[in-house]
Parts: sequence; C-alpha cells; structure tokens
Amino acid sequence: MDPLILASECDPAKEIICAPTNVIELFQFDEALFSIGPMDFTRTVILTFLAMFIVIGLLYFAFRTPRVVPTKFGAAMESLVLFVRDDVAKGTIGPDGIKYAPYLLSMFLFILVANLFEVTPFINFPLTSRMAIPLFLAVLTWVIFVFVGFKKNGISYLTGIIWPKSVPVALRWLVGLIEFFSTFLLRPITLAVRLFANLVAGHLMLTLLLGSGWIFMSAIGDIGIRSIIGLPWFVFGLGIFVFELVVAVLQAYIFTLLSAVYIQTSVHPEH
Amino acid sequence: MFELFYALEEAAEESSGIDLLLPETSELIAGILAFSIIFLVVWKFALPKLSQILEARQQAITGQLTEAESAKKEAESLLDDYKEQVAGARKEANQIVDDARQSGEALRTDIVAKADAEAAEIAEKARKEASAERERAASRIRDEVAALSLDVAQKVVAGTVDEGAQRDLVARYIDDLGGMG
Amino acid sequence: MEEIKGAIALIGYGLAAIGPGIGIGIVVGNAIQAMARQPEAAGLARTTMFLGIAFTEALALIGFVLFFIA
Repeated sequence: MDPLILASECDPAKEIICAPTNVIELFQFDEALFSIGPMDFTRTVILTFLAMFIVIGLLYFAFRTPRVVPTKFGAAMESLVLFVRDDVAKGTIGPDGIKYAPYLLSMFLFILVANLFEVTPFINFPLTSRMAIPLFLAVLTWVIFVFVGFKKNGISYLTGIIWPKSVPVALRWLVGLIEFFSTFLLRPITLAVRLFANLVAGHLMLTLLLGSGWIFMSAIGDIGIRSIIGLPWFVFGLGIFVFELVVAVLQAYIFTLLSAVYIQTSVHPEH
Repeated sequence: MFELFYALEEAAEESSGIDLLLPETSELIAGILAFSIIFLVVWKFALPKLSQILEARQQAITGQLTEAESAKKEAESLLDDYKEQVAGARKEANQIVDDARQSGEALRTDIVAKADAEAAEIAEKARKEASAERERAASRIRDEVAALSLDVAQKVVAGTVDEGAQRDLVARYIDDLGGMG
Repeated sequence: MEEIKGAIALIGYGLAAIGPGIGIGIVVGNAIQAMARQPEAAGLARTTMFLGIAFTEALALIGFVLFFIA
C-alpha cells in the first residue's frame, strides 16, 4: 500500500530517494471501506480490532487450560504477564500496585501488538502512529493518577505540587509552577507524543528506505545501472527494521512503566 | 535524505501536519472499544486465571513433594524391615550351620570311637585267636615231640646192641624226619 | 547557495533536540554508573533512569509537536 503511494510520485530516473510530496499520506487511510452510523471503518479501525482480537486470542490460548507444566507459548505468555504484574505494577507502585495490574497489563499488550504491526509483513502499519490510541491511553492514565492522587491525599495532593515543602521558600512559587505544568499538562502530552513520535519516525524511515529500495531495484529494466542506488537504501532499511523491532517493544514497556510511575507518584507523593 | 526533508517541509507548508496530531473520531471510538474489551478480558479472565494456574501449580508441587516424602518414608521403613529380616535369616543360618557342625563333630567322634573300639575288638580277637592257635600248635608239637621222643627212646633202647643198627636207626630217623618234613 | 529552501520549523526542531540529546546522554551514563556500582539496586536505577529520560525527552517531544503545528 505504502510503496504504491511512493511509486506513484517517484521517478527513479531522476531522484535518488523516493519520498512523497506529502508524508502525511503515508499515515492516512481516510477512505472508509464501509460505515456503520458515525463509525467509518477505515483500514486503521479494522487493524485496531484485529489487534484486539490478537491480544484476546493470545491470552485465551495461553491460559485456557491450566497446566502444571506449561507449554512453551504458555510459559512465554506467563512470564510476560508476570513481568508486567510483578516487576512493573508491584515493583514500581508497591504492594497495592496489584490493583492497577489489569490496567497496565491490558495497556502493555495492546500497545505491544499495535506497535508490532509496524514490522508485521502485509500490515506494515503501526496503529500507534495514529494519535487516537496513544492519546486515549495517556488521557486515561492522567485521569487515573489525578483521581488516585486526590483520593489518597485529598487536597494536599494539589498543594503539595504547587507549594512544595521540600524547597526553599523563595523558590517555591517557581518550582510549584513548573511542577504544576509538568504534572498536569506535560505528562499526558509527552506520554502520548513519545509513543506516537517514535512510531511515526520508525514507520517513515521503514517506508522510505524499503520502499525506495524496492522501487529502484524493480525499475532495473528502465533505468539500468542506476537501480544500484536502491541497494544501500534496502540494506539500511533492513537494519532499521531490526531496530524498529526493539523500539516497538521498548516503547510499549516505557509507556507502561511511566504510567505506573505516574500512578506511584500520586499514591506516595512525597517520594 | 534531503528529499525526505523537502517532503517534510512541504507537508509543514501545507499545514496539514496538525491533522496527524489530532485523533480521528472513528479511530478514537475503535481504540476505546478495543481497549475496554481487552481490559475486561485481562481483568476478568487472564489475571484471575493466571493466579489460579499458579496456585494450582504450587499446590500440585507441594502435594507431589509431600507424596514423595511419605513414599520415601514408607520405602525406608520397608528397607528397615528387610534389613531386619535379612539379619534374622543370617543369624538362623549361622545357627543351623553351627548346629550341623556340632552334630557332625559329635557324629564324627562317635564314629571314630566306635571304629576304634571295633578295631581294638578285632585286634583283640585276632590276637586271642592267634595265641589260641599258637597254643594249639605248641601243644600239638609237644604231643608230637613226646611221641617222637618216646619213639626214639624205644628205638634207642632196642638198637643198643648193634652199632650198625644204631647208625641205621639214626639214618632211618632222619629219613623219617625228612619224610615228615 | 543563492537560495535557501526549507521551513524554519525544521531548524526549530533541530535546536529543540540538542538539549534533550545531551541530557539523555548524561542521565543514561550516570544510570549505568549507578548500576555498575550497585548492581543490586539496578531495578531502582533503571526505573529512575526511564523517569529521568521521560522528563528530559519532554522538551524534544514538545519541539516535535510544534514542528507539526507550525
């Protein structure tokens, strides 16, 4: 799909890399395949539901039948789930972090699958390079940590942020201002944008490099020796492919970990 | 790579970049729906099921351990039993061998004594027989000698007259002796 | 060069990325030192490292957003 957009605007005989005049096209699939009421079932929407079914399927097949000795797949899923539950939720938030484990785990798995769509053949499109999922999850985390902060500490949660006791009086207003903006405005924005930006950049690089390599090398009949330009793009693209595999997992982990850390700062604000 | 930057820059000029930062309504709805369903599955199914699996595994392992412990104890008591039995059997066997040896010894001394006695008896009998035989032989010889002496004396008395007759007599006696011999 | 092409937002994003780049380097470097000195506290150091990166990276991400908005 993406190479088609690239190829329609690329002249391998003149350019040295294929890039569309508007990269936004690489991320937009506006034409709805079908619509139900206000819902347009674009490619992204369908992929979102596909990701949902994959996550549910993974969980279902891993934990369907209890086994004393788990299968390899079951053991892998178990260690993944236990990692999020014990290391991220309990390890970061504390013993009562087990309450947030379902939220963190479903977030982690959803983002992980959505990210890995970037490097899945025939899909090649990270859902998290659209703003909807990162923004929704970041806002949800924001709602949770603000709610928990007020529930656990009352109004002192807010006053503790804008009038920090641990700072010299002369600086309190400045630190308080920075902390206020950082906590209530920058946290959700950066949480969403970090994930989004990483995946946008990754998808852009993969598409341009692999797409260019493919277009140049497949145009060998028309442009002759000039198609050798495609080879370094392709090799570079393969390197980025492996790198993006790491980024996809790491970003899902970081998003989950930071959500846990933000919740933890609301549960125990003095730390 | 400059082409890439041109592309980015043109995108910025068209000011459609902001579109990328704002979520599409239908995608947002889809994301919320999908996440809610995943959350429900994780909350109601996956995590309780996992705890249940871990619990069951722990119980199974502890159960197996205690079972193994009891089996080991049973085996140990069985082994002790066997050892005791073996020790008893060995003792009994030793007893039997000792008894057999003692009775054998007794039998042997008995047999030897009996044989000694028998041999002594036989020897005694033989000796008695031999002495009786000798006695008998001696008495017969004595009888023989007496008769002979009587005979000789008669012959001496009868033949005194004649020297030649005497010599004849002696020769005849010697002949008689030789004929007897 | 008789003509300079390009959007000023690109330069803005480039400038916005300098500080966080250096900052993340310092954060990660010190976190690695901490982990090497006290491997038993590696988990804590790692969490704190990611938190520090998150705060530092925020500036670059704001630059990224402003690039798209501009």
